[in-house]
Amino acid sequence: MLRNTDTHWGSVAQAFHWLIAALIVAQGAIGLTMVELGMTPTKVRVFALHKSIGLTILALVLLRLAWRITQRAPREVPMPHWQLASARLSHFLLYVLILALPFSGWLFNSAANFPLEWFGVFHVPSLTRGLDPVLKAFALRTHVVLFWVLVAVVVIHAAAALWHHFRQRDDVLLRMLPMTQKSRDLQRQRALP
Amino acid sequence: MKMRIVAGLLLLLPLAAYARAWKVDAAHSALTFAGTYQGEKFEGRFKHFDAKINYDPTNLAQAKFDVTVDIASVDTSNTERDQALPGKAFFDTAQFPKAHFVTMRFRKGANGEVLADGTLSLRGVGKPVTLAVKFAPQGNGAELDVQTTLKRLDFGIGSGDWADTSMIGNAVTVHGHLALRP
Repeated sequence: MLRNTDTHWGSVAQAFHWLIAALIVAQGAIGLTMVELGMTPTKVRVFALHKSIGLTILALVLLRLAWRITQRAPREVPMPHWQLASARLSHFLLYVLILALPFSGWLFNSAANFPLEWFGVFHVPSLTRGLDPVLKAFALRTHVVLFWVLVAVVVIHAAAALWHHFRQRDDVLLRMLPMTQKSRDLQRQRALP
Repeated sequence: MKMRIVAGLLLLLPLAAYARAWKVDAAHSALTFAGTYQGEKFEGRFKHFDAKINYDPTNLAQAKFDVTVDIASVDTSNTERDQALPGKAFFDTAQFPKAHFVTMRFRKGANGEVLADGTLSLRGVGKPVTLAVKFAPQGNGAELDVQTTLKRLDFGIGSGDWADTSMIGNAVTVHGHLALRP
């Protein structure tokens, strides 16, 4: 199913979720590694890759949000109010962070007056009029702080999903995984009183 | 009458013997260049340079440009690049702090434009370089524009791993704009 159902995220929503998740993990690893490299052409290429992946994430998140607001989400899995409120807050934070992170990187790149090419295919315009040392320093600090906040929220998000699955034994994780016969059976079984 | 003309011509003779020496108004002059980095154009300038200009468009035989550039004054509006450029792999300003250009002769090109042939010494390499010269009198001064295209690898700028021209283009256009005062 491409679209969301009452009990399951559709394959479009799932593809967005897992693709963006994988890109963010790769992006974080590249980002932490690249800043340690010496000043060589390799460093320039790795930075260019980081920028291209970041722009890709930004575009995918915008598409994902467009899909999210035009689709009905699956019914909430029954759970205490505080869990539901925490889940909503962390999902909201995740969306804000995965938009703000690439944006702050783009802003830093612009204020530092570096080139910006999406995988060498097309030029992406600068957000500033050339070098702006004050904005550059602000954007870099923001980028780094937002990254570590994202790491914290992602850890909570993933831990909560695993906790729901293994301890609460509800469908929170399953409904974000591709429908297998086994998961269908499991859901039907759980639907029984 | 004839005597007066002769006398007048005689008066002009000393002027013809040397081309006019100009003062360069540094505040209104610039030595800039443009290259490509990661497929995008970037521009830079040398903030400090000293140009001795002797030029009279009616007497090219006596014209002479002698320019010394303080290479460490390079500014490309990118902090990281400006830190890398004076380094050993690029300009190596510790060993070669100055570039020097001096003209050998001036001539007219195919379309009547003025060309200045000279020698550029940059990063320890001397190469013949030809400038296209545009001279426009303004009041009692003049605007002088010169332009040429260099190949950075001819001078070993961006050596080793940085020689890759897909990352840093080989061609660099150099443009000098000088405000000349009497």
